[in-house]
Amino acid sequence: MYGDLGLKLVQHAKRTQSLSHLPPYQSELIRAITREVRDLDRDVTETLEPYPNFDPTQDPALATLLLANHICIRRNKRCLLAYHRVRVEKIEEMCWSGSDILEQVQVTKGEGQEGEAGALGAAEGGSVSSLSPEEEEYARQYSDLLAAYKGQWTDIDLTGSLDPPRDLFIDVRVLKDAGEIQTEYGAINLTKNSQFFVRQGDVERLIAQGFLQKLS
Amino acid sequence: MDDDINDILAEFDKRSVPSSTQDLNDLTKQWIAERGAPEVLPYQGPLLERIMERIREQIEIVERETGDLEPNANFRLILIQTELERVKFLVRAYLRARMAKIDKHPLYLINNPSALSHLSDPEKAYLRSHLALLNNHYLSSFLRNFPAQLRRLDDAAGGVSMVEEPDLDSAVFCRVVRVLEEGEELVVKGTDARVELMKGDVVVVRYRAVRKWVLGGEVELI
Repeated sequence: MYGDLGLKLVQHAKRTQSLSHLPPYQSELIRAITREVRDLDRDVTETLEPYPNFDPTQDPALATLLLANHICIRRNKRCLLAYHRVRVEKIEEMCWSGSDILEQVQVTKGEGQEGEAGALGAAEGGSVSSLSPEEEEYARQYSDLLAAYKGQWTDIDLTGSLDPPRDLFIDVRVLKDAGEIQTEYGAINLTKNSQFFVRQGDVERLIAQGFLQKLS
Repeated sequence: MDDDINDILAEFDKRSVPSSTQDLNDLTKQWIAERGAPEVLPYQGPLLERIMERIREQIEIVERETGDLEPNANFRLILIQTELERVKFLVRAYLRARMAKIDKHPLYLINNPSALSHLSDPEKAYLRSHLALLNNHYLSSFLRNFPAQLRRLDDAAGGVSMVEEPDLDSAVFCRVVRVLEEGEELVVKGTDARVELMKGDVVVVRYRAVRKWVLGGEVELI
């Protein structure tokens, strides 16, 4: 039935909204819907061929058929747009929060390639990335755009926290080894499970990236 | 008569506030307004310039005086840094609130010169590049496989426009801060509600009904 696939896609989009990660790109479904659109469009063109000057009032039945086809095409288009938009928003959110999606992608890819050399490679190689190549490209370009825009506000750090700051200094616990960082008060060595009283501005990035946990 | 004196006093109070504090208060107001309003409000260029200038000065002071081990200086630095973090947050939140709206209605903004004039130049540049990126992404993801006449993103066929616009009918909380002109009253379109607004009144109303006063400064969003 026309439009079934579109509905499926929208359900995927809806589900994506409430997930914290990005589920795999539905390239099969996208292809099928695009095909449906092309088929419908061809139908319309073929139906219209014998009537160079088609007048809808002369043949209401045919006009209705055409209308139905058209509406299906447009609906599919909206479904596709909605699906991509939701994913794009997720990608942008990741760019803003500083979690480097591309790096993650590359890491998984790297593992995949290493794995391929080994015996277990095939299975891992299949789940390389949940982004489509177009989305990867988009993420890259959007990061660049964001970096360029941020560059005009270097003193502010646009991607910083949107919670109003309460204290200059905060207690943090180190969740993952993050190496040594330089602060105005000297160097701190962030080893796992240690706890520090540091300036919030110095460690904000590390909190966002999940290296540190803020203690209240 | 009493009113007159109060007005004069209020005017006087206003002048006695240092310009830096006034700027900060203004920015806070703008930030709150930006969060409340459904559309992007005019960009406060000169105000932000002044505030950024002060932030730079403060950062310089901090950089110059760190390492000074005198307890008094240290305490002063902490105060400055705390203040700095707060002002930075305010600027950041203000800019981000605007960007959120720019990202939400890009096609509407680009085709609407009066709304576009509310954006700063970097924001306009961002809007254009972002839109180009999106367009490209949709095109390369699926639209390129579409029949040519169906590739547009701003169709209005079938009576439904594809372009989403800010919902000017959403409700906002606002306060009247200046006396409105004689004979001006609040009219909510589509209803026969008419309210005379007095200075100091706080109302919840559709944004559309108070829009011109918000832009004119007679009414502030809270």
